[in-house]
Amino acid sequence: MFNRAIRNFSSSPTAHKVGCSIVKPVHHRVKIDKTKLSPKYPELKLSPNDIRSPKFVPRYTHQDRVQEYYENTLKPDLLLINYVHGQKTVPGNKRRQWDLTSPYHINRPPRVPRGERVPTPDIKPRTYKNIPGLTKITLSCFVKEAKLNSSLAIPATLQLQQITGVKPTPIYAKTNVPTWKLRPGMKMGAKVALEGREMSQFLSTLTELVLPRIREFKGISNRSGDRFGTISFGLEPESIKFFPEIEANQDLWPRTFGIDVQFHTSSQVDMDARILLSGLGIPFTGTERIPKDLLNDH
Amino acid sequence: MFKTYSSALPQSLSRGLVGATRQTPTPFIQFVRGKRTKKYDLSPAAQKLITQLSVLSASRKQPKMLKLCPEDFVKHNTVQEAYKLITRKRKKAENEKLKQQYESMKLACEDLSKVSPELFEAANKREVSKRFSLELRVPTNYPPNVPWYYDYTPESPEDKK
Amino acid sequence: MIVPRLSARYMSSGPIKSSLMLSRIPIVTRALNPFEKEYFNYQAELERRLMRTFPQYYYFKKGTLAERKFLDIQNGVISKQPNVWYPKGIPDVKHGRDRRFKQNILIPGEEANKNDEKNLSRPIEVNARVTEADKTNNMSSLNRKLSHTLYLIVKEKDQWKFPSFNLESQSLHTAAEKGLVDLGGNQIKIWTVSNTPAAVIKYCEGELVAPTYESPDERIERHYIIKSHIVAGSFQPMNIEYKWVTNDEAASFFDNSYFQQVRHLLANF
Repeated sequence: MFNRAIRNFSSSPTAHKVGCSIVKPVHHRVKIDKTKLSPKYPELKLSPNDIRSPKFVPRYTHQDRVQEYYENTLKPDLLLINYVHGQKTVPGNKRRQWDLTSPYHINRPPRVPRGERVPTPDIKPRTYKNIPGLTKITLSCFVKEAKLNSSLAIPATLQLQQITGVKPTPIYAKTNVPTWKLRPGMKMGAKVALEGREMSQFLSTLTELVLPRIREFKGISNRSGDRFGTISFGLEPESIKFFPEIEANQDLWPRTFGIDVQFHTSSQVDMDARILLSGLGIPFTGTERIPKDLLNDH
Repeated sequence: MFKTYSSALPQSLSRGLVGATRQTPTPFIQFVRGKRTKKYDLSPAAQKLITQLSVLSASRKQPKMLKLCPEDFVKHNTVQEAYKLITRKRKKAENEKLKQQYESMKLACEDLSKVSPELFEAANKREVSKRFSLELRVPTNYPPNVPWYYDYTPESPEDKK
Repeated sequence: MIVPRLSARYMSSGPIKSSLMLSRIPIVTRALNPFEKEYFNYQAELERRLMRTFPQYYYFKKGTLAERKFLDIQNGVISKQPNVWYPKGIPDVKHGRDRRFKQNILIPGEEANKNDEKNLSRPIEVNARVTEADKTNNMSSLNRKLSHTLYLIVKEKDQWKFPSFNLESQSLHTAAEKGLVDLGGNQIKIWTVSNTPAAVIKYCEGELVAPTYESPDERIERHYIIKSHIVAGSFQPMNIEYKWVTNDEAASFFDNSYFQQVRHLLANF
């Protein structure tokens, strides 16, 4: 009787009203990009593939001969080479569970792997779904003398840009070594990551122009690798002069800088990565060391 | 017509350079409309560094953005979609082929293991340090002067292959 | 010495042979179809339009002879002047480039050095992608169809197929390599992809059967295909017909049943 005298703004009955908010609180779990909510810079909200975006750059401008050779010839061959009938998964070094001898073991985070700090991945059998391929090439140029002469990072950056055609990002020192006068935060050089067309172009110049001209170059070491498919090697400053972009402007380059080249592959292990890279024209030298558990997987 | 770059350079690029000596402009300058009359004298090393920095930077080198009319925009998108479709079909066919190769290889190995265990062991033996022959090169756009090397003679009995 | 012992279950199985799929990889890139040509041309033009201005001040220093030669060759750009009517739009010129259009840079020196054979700056003369062997359609030549993969096929008992060899107490891949040299001379250099067979082709009483066909009573002749690439030299047999064919041509030479069993092993182009 008295409820009707109180005029509410809402039309839902008072008995059905909840005393608290019934909206699930997700604001702290959902990442909201506030730049997308703002009405400013509408072109930047577009995808980089959209031609109206300022970031638009055409991706497929010509035939990629390295990629076509890989897909036509190398991939079926690699499938055949890497296949082992009856291959089993080689388990990696994983975090271990506590043995529950103490009641405190329940809900305790798992133990560190045996002998190592970081767990290692399982090596699965090779099928048509995991044929190794070259995904990325990273060039890194760390100039030691830049700790005293900070402007040396600039020609190093430009050298990387000239060789690759991609804009490099700076490298800063991370460690503090007083004997070498190295402090964290000092600009020491540059790095650049190459993918797709740029990567194929760089690989072609490397294997066809630069590496054949290096005197006493037998190949990349067979021992090189991070165990899981990344092979790297270094180029001396004298070898950088063989890149056509540097060679054509010798007077602009009184000093060239050595670089560290890393081949990132989609292979699970180093030995597969080396077979792939040999197919792409990179020679190897020295004795290879293969872990026993990878050889005894069938 | 082509003016020295350094005089139009923003302050940010030359900040923090070691050895960049910049003198203040001379007190009395004859002002001329449309011409840059202030001149900064930099050491050649600093000038070189500034040029290198400007090559890396995009300032004053970026062209105008593309403004397509609605018809051209639709045409562009149609072309892009067509290429994506062709690529998708090609990749699907290639993956299917690889799957068939895998299945036939697996079948052959299975068959061989049942028929002859010795042959199977020899076939399944992993070739340690297998490398592609460096003479199998990535194809080029145009053939070399000698497209195929016919004059091969084996050097020794082991080289028969 | 490997003596192929047949397991008790398949005692009645027929002979085992090693078949060799010898291929010459493409020497030249694949020919593009008309859509791809147009598409790449369009994308290249877009890239040129959106490309940064050439930093001419870095490559050609101001006041040098090289700069003068470079500038002489370039076409000039229309600059913005006051009190001038531009019917095609007001130019926006920075570093000698109109920002509305793609930049056209002409490289000095190529025309002048054309006739001088020793000059390294002369323009490159490319070799033809279509060779003599293409024109005469000589199927025993390795110079034919440079943009395709060529496969070696031989005529055995009036049927075109991949060459197959008996095993003389050897493994499959060694038998294939030795058999090839015995058949076609040793003026050939090959690289075997793997000792693993790529496929198995079964014959029951002379007739081709499915690879999954199994029958303990009948004699099944098995041919295991070993993949290999020819690296140098040539195949020169004494008394056998042979051809180097592409994947499309192989379809016309092989029997349909044989072709259906091997078509997935042939390369895309």
